[in-house]
Amino acid sequence: MTCGCKNQLLMNVYETGFAMDDILLYLDTHPTDQEAMNYYNYIRQLNQEAVRAYEQAYGPLMADQVSSDNWSWIKSPWPWEGGNA
Amino acid sequence: MWRYEKRLQYPVNISQPNPKLAQFIISQYGGPDGEAAAAMRYLSQRYAMPYEKGKAVLNDVGTEELGHFEIIGAIVHQLTRNLTPQEIEESGFGPYYIDHTTGLWPQAAGGIPFNACEFQSKGDPVTDLFEDLAAEQKARVTYDNILRVVKDPEVCDPIRFLREREVVHFQRFGEALRDVQEHLNSRNFYAFNPAFDKASAGSQTAS
Repeated sequence: MTCGCKNQLLMNVYETGFAMDDILLYLDTHPTDQEAMNYYNYIRQLNQEAVRAYEQAYGPLMADQVSSDNWSWIKSPWPWEGGNA
Repeated sequence: MWRYEKRLQYPVNISQPNPKLAQFIISQYGGPDGEAAAAMRYLSQRYAMPYEKGKAVLNDVGTEELGHFEIIGAIVHQLTRNLTPQEIEESGFGPYYIDHTTGLWPQAAGGIPFNACEFQSKGDPVTDLFEDLAAEQKARVTYDNILRVVKDPEVCDPIRFLREREVVHFQRFGEALRDVQEHLNSRNFYAFNPAFDKASAGSQTAS
């Protein structure tokens, strides 16, 4: 999958995130497919790294990742305003 | 976007089926003041909210309502497990059973199907937040009505939790409304619509 992200760190989040979404559905109907399971483990690691790198630079993607002393969660722009896009 | 967490926001463990009660409680699944309408209301209203606190509250209450929709679904499901045709007929659950067996389908207690007209999204922050305050009170009353006819403590417990959340959401929406009004002209809150009349809103839309 390619996306129009300006930012390489964000591009990594979109790509590995979509790979997670896709392999999740495949594994739901093929829960004993070892090759798919290996791919899941591989992409999960990449996704966690991509999310961590992006959040460190640009702030939390999920509310439980807010780590600053103030509640940065409410900072605009939100996704529907073009945030994290 | 959303990710699924494999648990309910509040646990539901109902051991005694009760189809009559299921037919009452399903109103909070797809009825006029139910959780589906609540989630759709707040998540749809987010786009017209110009202020940070309001945007976050609509987003996060709307998300919690999706979790409440699931709790109600779990309650109705557990109340309709292992029924005999005789129990269904005697309980008054028959008309629902004929169309849906014991599958979940969003309808009001009286059988009226879920409809987007159950909620409003007016594109005006003051109007939308008043709608939300009323909606939380209407849902609270529905839970009060349910609690009057429920005797089973295993059903009361999650219903009481949901009722309490309506009160908390009402409080948060009240605070969001006050924040919106503080951005507006205190002599006339209705002088312009900050979601639409950008020029009049000026720098006030920034925070």
